[in-house]
Amino acid sequence: MKYALAVHGAPYATQAAVHALSFAEAALDQGHTIERIFFFHEGVYQGLNGQIPPQDTFNQNLLKRWQALAERNVELALCIASAIKRGVLDEAEQGRYEQDHPTLAPGFELVGLGQLVAAINSADRYLEFPA
Amino acid sequence: MKRYLFVISRSPYRSSHAMEQLEAAMVAAVFDGQVSILFRDEGVWNLQENQSGEASQQKTLSKVLAALPSYEIEDLYACQDSLVTRQVQMDKALTVKTLSLAEQSELIAASDAVVTGQP
Repeated sequence: MKYALAVHGAPYATQAAVHALSFAEAALDQGHTIERIFFFHEGVYQGLNGQIPPQDTFNQNLLKRWQALAERNVELALCIASAIKRGVLDEAEQGRYEQDHPTLAPGFELVGLGQLVAAINSADRYLEFPA
Repeated sequence: MKRYLFVISRSPYRSSHAMEQLEAAMVAAVFDGQVSILFRDEGVWNLQENQSGEASQQKTLSKVLAALPSYEIEDLYACQDSLVTRQVQMDKALTVKTLSLAEQSELIAASDAVVTGQP
């Protein structure tokens, strides 16, 4: 089965990331396909570089788990409008708006909202992980 | 062509939920999706008449809703219970069909993708 996922919650604030990651990892392990994970609203903070989670038992490095998915050819796509207004910038946007540094983590990319619709259109199932 | 249902469940002006749901709905319509919008819970306040977004430096939601037919979005639905409990007076420029809970279940079941957005 081909899945399209959307994540709406920020890291370490909601369970959106943990639920989406666990689903995505299990689906890939079982031979399903995830073409794109779309990060929308505060979900774009999942792609912010330089996250340092506290090292206690229940915290985990969400960013590393996302990047492991990217290495399995899952596209990690941030809504560009949601991202740049929150300061999550790739090199192109950093240059365009003359900011000091790009802030997007490796493995993620900024895309238009149309890419969410395109992913839903080509998937068998669409799952949303709200804030 | 996929059938999209966008659910708006929060009141206007206190968060960007409704506006961002509408923006996504318009994109889905541009991509040839068949788009319906369901207002329920606090989301029915988006349908209230005599709104002024200007008062809080925002777009007036009811005016954005009235413009949806030009994006080929004509299927607007509202939860009957949510409207009655809150005594919302609907903007007369809007054409909205009210649905019972059972009818909302049918609408959700008939959709390919249900988008709830960030609450």
